[in-house]
Amino acid sequence: MIAAQAPSDITDSTQETLGLLRALRRRPARQRASNLAFWLYLAGLAIFSYGGWLVAAIVRALRHPPPPAADTPEVLHVAPAGLCVLAILLLAAQLWDARWRGPVTVTPPTADWLLDTPVDRGRLLRPRYRASAVIAAASGAVAGLVPAALLLAAGLGGTSLRHALALAGTAMLSAALLAGLGTGIAAWAQARPPAASLRAVRSAVAVLIAALTAVAVLSAALRLPPAAGTVLLWSGPWGWAAQGPLAMSGGSAPLWPAGTAMLAVAAVAAVLAGGHLAVRVPAATLRRSARAVGHMSAAMLNLDARRVTTAYRDVTGAYGRARCAVRPPLRRQLILPWRDLTALVRAPSRLAWSALLALAATGLGALAVRSPHAAVLTLTAALVFGYLAAAGLAEGARLDGDDPARAAQLPFRFQTLPWWHAVVPCLALALLIGGPATALAALTGHTRLLPLVAATIPVLVGGALVNSFRGQLEGEMFEGFDTPLGHSSGITILLWYVTGPLLAVGPMLILWDRAVNSSKAAPAIFVAVLAAGLAFWLGHIAQGRARRLRSA
Amino acid sequence: MTAGEQPLLALTAVSRSYGALQALKPVSLTLAAGQCVALLGVNGSGKSTLLRIAAGRDTPTSGRVSYLGRPLREDALVARTEIAVAGDVSSTYPDLTVQEHLLLVAVAHGAGQSAPGTVDDALAECRLSDHAAALPGALSSGQRQAMQLAAVLVRPRRLLILDEPEQRLDPGARRWLAGLLVREKDRGVTVLLATHHAELAEAVADKVIVLLDGDVIGHGPPAETLGGIR
Repeated sequence: MIAAQAPSDITDSTQETLGLLRALRRRPARQRASNLAFWLYLAGLAIFSYGGWLVAAIVRALRHPPPPAADTPEVLHVAPAGLCVLAILLLAAQLWDARWRGPVTVTPPTADWLLDTPVDRGRLLRPRYRASAVIAAASGAVAGLVPAALLLAAGLGGTSLRHALALAGTAMLSAALLAGLGTGIAAWAQARPPAASLRAVRSAVAVLIAALTAVAVLSAALRLPPAAGTVLLWSGPWGWAAQGPLAMSGGSAPLWPAGTAMLAVAAVAAVLAGGHLAVRVPAATLRRSARAVGHMSAAMLNLDARRVTTAYRDVTGAYGRARCAVRPPLRRQLILPWRDLTALVRAPSRLAWSALLALAATGLGALAVRSPHAAVLTLTAALVFGYLAAAGLAEGARLDGDDPARAAQLPFRFQTLPWWHAVVPCLALALLIGGPATALAALTGHTRLLPLVAATIPVLVGGALVNSFRGQLEGEMFEGFDTPLGHSSGITILLWYVTGPLLAVGPMLILWDRAVNSSKAAPAIFVAVLAAGLAFWLGHIAQGRARRLRSA
Repeated sequence: MTAGEQPLLALTAVSRSYGALQALKPVSLTLAAGQCVALLGVNGSGKSTLLRIAAGRDTPTSGRVSYLGRPLREDALVARTEIAVAGDVSSTYPDLTVQEHLLLVAVAHGAGQSAPGTVDDALAECRLSDHAAALPGALSSGQRQAMQLAAVLVRPRRLLILDEPEQRLDPGARRWLAGLLVREKDRGVTVLLATHHAELAEAVADKVIVLLDGDVIGHGPPAETLGGIR
């Protein structure tokens, strides 16, 4: 018989427990530290070997910042809204992180072996929260380099190294503070049971992102008065974070020290409040997030993005719910379009993301048409966003590509499925991109590019279908040979991931650039014909891939 | 339980739905100190859902759960010190031995100087003494199940909740499990278990509840209820 003590005898033994765990894991901890040091060494070596030219270019750009170009005033005009969008995207990323992991996490064994003991939760969880806050602030500082680099490249980095460093420094500081604020908010979200309040916050953030993006696009297209920018800069922490970099790049933010100070106060308050809230994170949430981290890490180690997505859905329960039904068709030709349509209406968030991406693509396309001499970047972004929208809409094809047995009962040959799966994404994109593009063209008079818009849609869908039928990541892809640029398997795996977007976006970028930079109507029709051929070719590639999947 | 005596655990009309699916229809259940209740039913009948609610690890869609007359919360200290749950552990520290895992639990529950002795006793009771220095990854599935039971034995407990503890145990180990649960009852520990083995339920339970599609289709003393079902 085991003589365990009675529950009422229990004394707080948190210190002994955590001390024992540390002592037991000392040797493995040393091993992990040496492993980490090795990986850091490898990362440093890789950066030095392959990124040396990039570092040199950055140093050159900092010492001699690029001078203002013709577009610089326009960039400065859009900067308040653009920086606000970037800032709120950083906050949104942290809220998304809180949905599946959050700043308060424990390892799966700790969740399973220590959470249902009387160990003091504060002493167990607060150190982990503090570590998350430090990591978030450091990551935020690194993320701050992105807007700084964009402003620098646009000729807004001043005239000397001192100016450029001041711009980079304020951007890094603002982003670090914003990340600290986000960590506190994420801890608050984690400490609450999954309820309507959290969903409401997420919805509010989504609306805010959409509104700010719309303002950014409108600022560029319609030249909103400067007062609109001022309102944005004082509309919340995202605006306070934008003020420092804006002021350093010559924009109008005269009270930027006050804005940055307000952001600092908010960040410190949020981090401190998060520390108190960390104790209140329910054990059920900690267990779920521990499981999530375990599953996601395993999926990431396999270098398989789809498994990462599946693991994410498993832990968040982010599967579509059957909210509405589409009546099944009587004609067999409509079965796959019906299935794809049903899948879309039952996952409204996927449809909403695709719509958002499609709108962003249209807006960026309009921007490129307005400023044709510097259209390559905006066109690339527009086509990538359009491709991502198409990929979201081609979810049915992806499922069939991942599991060919799923389509065994369909009255079609497997290799013809890509063509059937193209119907719904093409129609949806025609609505989501074609509609706004037609309206914009009617408003601005650029109707000559509409045939090209129409031809681009099947190309983007074709690229998405090529990727949908790529199959599973095979072990043999890790085999290969050494090259001066590293092992060939890295290139093989990269190509395996990006074949679809590369084949769709690359040629379309050339065609669009040519069309945008031509004032005559003929090239638009000519490139539209070329694009139609490209779409057909991509469909054939997807068909070939489907055939190989079936025979495998 | 005599009239006026407070039950240890009381579930009052608890139900659980996941979207449109009702996994558990309203069920009421009380457990007195030293009582053993066994839940029986096919896969998906709602046994594990009911256990998770009884342990405070899931919130019922309707109804309430009280422990010693107070609403049960998993994070409350009383739940962490008095309710032992087995069958929920899926991961282990890859670098700690079986003995070290158990030692950690014993120390966390305030065993202090007596922790090593308690752990040795639990290892012996669960026939794991020969594997004390093994890493969990080297154990068979049955031994891992025994390790989970040992983790329950090294900690104080007033209510023991077990989800299919007989899983992966051979017939001899199942007999040992039945003996162990009877001894727990004799010590005054209340036991709530879900099982697929009617024999185990008959051997240890004072009452069985049979579930089907989330609904109670039979309850009462084991011999009577199981005889009726058969």
